[in-house]
Amino acid sequence: MNKKRVGIALFAGVLSIGMLSGCGDEKKDAKGGKTDLKVAIWDYSTTEYYKTMFDAFTKKNPDINIEVVEFSADEYDNTVTTQLGGKQDFDVVFTKGTPALSGLIAQGHVISLDDYIKNDSDFNKDNYLGLIDQLTMDDKVYGVPFRKDNNLLFYNKDLFDKADVPYPEDGMNMKEYHELAEKMTSGTGNDKVYGAHFHTWASNVYDLARRPEAFDQLDTDTYDNLKPYYDEVLAMQDEGAIQDYGALKSSNIHYSGVFYNQQTSMITIGTWFINNLLENVTDFNWGVCSTPNNEGMGKDNAVGGVTPVSIGAYAKHPDEAWKFISYICGEEGAEVIAKTGILPGYNSDKINQIFDDLPKTYENAPENLSNYIDVDKYVIEQRMDPKIKDIENILTEEHSEIMTKSISVDEGVKKMKERVSELQQN
Amino acid sequence: MKKKNLVAYSFILPNLLGFFVFTFIPIIFSLLLSFCEWDSGNPIKFVGLDNFVTMFTKDKSFWISLKNTLYYTVVTVPVTLVLSLFLAILMNKPIKGRNFFRSVLFFPYVASLVAVAVVWMALFNPDRGPINGILMALGVNNPPRWAASTTWAMPTIIGLTVWKGMGYYMIVYLAALQGVPKELYEAAALDGASGWQQFRNVTWPNVTPTTFFILMMLLVSAFKSYDTMYITTQGGPGEATKVLAYHIYNSAFVSSKFGYASALSMVLFVIVMVVTLIQFKGEKRFTNYL
Repeated sequence: MNKKRVGIALFAGVLSIGMLSGCGDEKKDAKGGKTDLKVAIWDYSTTEYYKTMFDAFTKKNPDINIEVVEFSADEYDNTVTTQLGGKQDFDVVFTKGTPALSGLIAQGHVISLDDYIKNDSDFNKDNYLGLIDQLTMDDKVYGVPFRKDNNLLFYNKDLFDKADVPYPEDGMNMKEYHELAEKMTSGTGNDKVYGAHFHTWASNVYDLARRPEAFDQLDTDTYDNLKPYYDEVLAMQDEGAIQDYGALKSSNIHYSGVFYNQQTSMITIGTWFINNLLENVTDFNWGVCSTPNNEGMGKDNAVGGVTPVSIGAYAKHPDEAWKFISYICGEEGAEVIAKTGILPGYNSDKINQIFDDLPKTYENAPENLSNYIDVDKYVIEQRMDPKIKDIENILTEEHSEIMTKSISVDEGVKKMKERVSELQQN
Repeated sequence: MKKKNLVAYSFILPNLLGFFVFTFIPIIFSLLLSFCEWDSGNPIKFVGLDNFVTMFTKDKSFWISLKNTLYYTVVTVPVTLVLSLFLAILMNKPIKGRNFFRSVLFFPYVASLVAVAVVWMALFNPDRGPINGILMALGVNNPPRWAASTTWAMPTIIGLTVWKGMGYYMIVYLAALQGVPKELYEAAALDGASGWQQFRNVTWPNVTPTTFFILMMLLVSAFKSYDTMYITTQGGPGEATKVLAYHIYNSAFVSSKFGYASALSMVLFVIVMVVTLIQFKGEKRFTNYL
């Protein structure tokens, strides 16, 4: 009996010691004068350029120590929102795009940056090609673009040379794109090469209309402008110039493999693909031009997503956070990522030169990429709005109904209009 | 006496504590949340019955997901039940390789849902899948587009669920069948009963407790289905496979409407509870115990 009691007491003792040791000393902040900056980010350990950039920053600012808090890319948005819901004291918060940032703003998890921008003489909004003004809600700025993307038409030069067809050019309209895709479709069965490829995202269709600003998710009056685009894409699908949406969805085929394996001559996708191509394609030459549109626009506007960086609402060191943000989103940070073919949010002649010089390091890259980067206006793919996530959901659902031909294009666009108007009224 | 009770309680305490902290209290919290509005950032706001009013009058997706859930349940449950009983009867007969067949039929239940879903979708791929390949070879000109069609997406998922689950319930029925006294079959055969009559008058009445159990398990599992839809169709095309659990997930984690999602969860809870209570009432009249 005694042995049992001693055993239990010992066990309880070990348990409590274990618990108490877990509660560490939380006041370790000022480690000999250094400030700890908590940065929430995804894929830090698998992305080289983050480390390069962060190290460069700490070198320049030896009194700041960066504490990276990394989450997996897939669940990043939900995880960060939940953590901030628990008032986690992230100083710097990366978000995956404007819908995620809109959500964080609506919940009060990030602070506005207007004062920092005003008081920072080195910070110039114009270097961001109109993006700062689009990262606003209720006229307050909440994020600075770390990277941005532009949707481009990527094409396989070798396949065009083989078919003796001239390369696609800026300013095509949808009909011309369709005809070109038909021309470039060849073969059957496993050897089939499609003329073009549309990934299953709804944005792959609506971005074509968004670039010339003929479409705005928040304005249902513009939804009818989607009809001609859907009509043309469905016609391409019917004629086998592009892969069938249903088949793509059922087999979870990723667009990158299709292009790498030369199973498609053209694809419309974002500039993040440049980095992928630089690393993965060595056996054929590829080129870019602007996406088609029915409004007669050449390469003038760019449309795409942004990776905004913000300051957390419960941050302990907001001033240092701003220093960090303005560095990585500024010239020096931009140069680091531009060298890997990723588009920084910051724009300058130096950055453009880096992109023009890419063919020197990567043989298959096209010349003069800066033509499609140094553009007058960048239109953000998804506008900042508290309801943008729900709107995107509705657009995706109706997109899948239209593309699987479960309903007609007219009906689909009508449903989009009805559901989004209802959502906006509530 | 007191000491014995204390010892007993201390044994069940850890599990009870865990249940209390991680299951019971969150459920109560969710019940309270269903009368509030909360997006996890701003403070919780009490709104009374607003969530329920919105749900029943303004949210079209609620009715669509409820309809989809009922459609899914009404087909999956009886089909799985009948098939598993049929297979169990078959696997109870003294055929060659019986053990092999039993393992083969049980295997889908053990396999990972993700793996099964990926392969199922590949099989039913409207353009490239072998199912449609066979149908077209047999002369069917426009075979169904399966998961790429609003009409056929749900049947495709139902097929997946039935195929994957029937092995497990077959084993449960098998155990029950082996508890049926052989003398009853012999007596029935002597009286000149046919196979069907033997089933109806000997087999079926003797496995009613098992049927009740399986029915309940199937119903609860069907009502809370989410993962299968998430992996295969993400609720699509359109809203064709959006079930209630999917709508709850969307409301909570995409739309950040935790109060509304809690209200939806409460409704789902009540539905499942009502169904289970009806079952329990029916059980008294329905089941026979030997």
